[in-house]
Amino acid sequence: MDIISQLQEQVNLIANLAFNSIGTLQRDAPPNRLSPNYPEPPPHPTEDATDFAEQPKQMSASLIKAAKQFDTLVTALPISEGGEEAQLKRIAELRAENDAVGQELQRQLEAAEKELNLVQESFRQASDNCLNLKKPE
Amino acid sequence: MATATYPPPTPYYRLYKDYLQDPKSAPEPPPPTEGTYVCFGGNYTTDDVLPSLEEQGVRQLYPKGPNVDFKKELRALNGDLQLHILELADILIERPSQYARRVEEISLVFKNLHHLLNSLRPHQARATLIHILELQIQRRKQAVEDIKRRREEAQSLLRESLATLDGH
Repeated sequence: MDIISQLQEQVNLIANLAFNSIGTLQRDAPPNRLSPNYPEPPPHPTEDATDFAEQPKQMSASLIKAAKQFDTLVTALPISEGGEEAQLKRIAELRAENDAVGQELQRQLEAAEKELNLVQESFRQASDNCLNLKKPE
Repeated sequence: MATATYPPPTPYYRLYKDYLQDPKSAPEPPPPTEGTYVCFGGNYTTDDVLPSLEEQGVRQLYPKGPNVDFKKELRALNGDLQLHILELADILIERPSQYARRVEEISLVFKNLHHLLNSLRPHQARATLIHILELQIQRRKQAVEDIKRRREEAQSLLRESLATLDGH
């Protein structure tokens, strides 16, 4: 895949990771204490607790990894300095060179074809002479 | 159950009755459309250009100008994005009812990122064209070399055979 598509995919991946992590945290967070008047809310059963402490760490780690990958891809962008005008100038130069080489190719091709016809003609004459000189039995 | 029949074919076929005898007696095909056209009730344009962010009603976060430094702006937007995600997480802890503004800012950064990446596509197209032209020039030069070499080989063969025939 070309690098711009990879960059676009990476942006979409970062977006997915971001809203997945925020959504998961919001869904799974244990209830918070609202006011000092009310007692502490009952804690969740312990099987959630260990997973829940690991989840933000893992999710933030993958988010940071995706962001670093994006930075690497940006560094690998092969953008040349000079912008649009330099590119258009290069395209015009290449077209001119392409036309010149094309004409040279055409000339060579025509000369080669002429020589081929000459050789074929002389071969035909030589074979005709050979056949005419042969006495039929 | 009543079903509608397909519409009949257009009656223009009668105009092409003598096409085989006289190709000019039939009308020319219509020229390609230019500008905007209407297709199945929708408006389309033939001029394909990426609409700028202002036209879509989105604020542009990176500086405008003829030459934007894409790498620097992309990295800056990435950093902005991470900061905004962190702000959203913080505000969900402290004042959860004010998430909407932060979410809008995050989506703004994403729209800017995608617009910047899309504006790199014309540059990519020109670079691909340059690459194709270079390859073509290289192939043509190679073909010229090949033809020259073969011609010389053929000529040397003919000279040799002429020499052997003359020496006979």
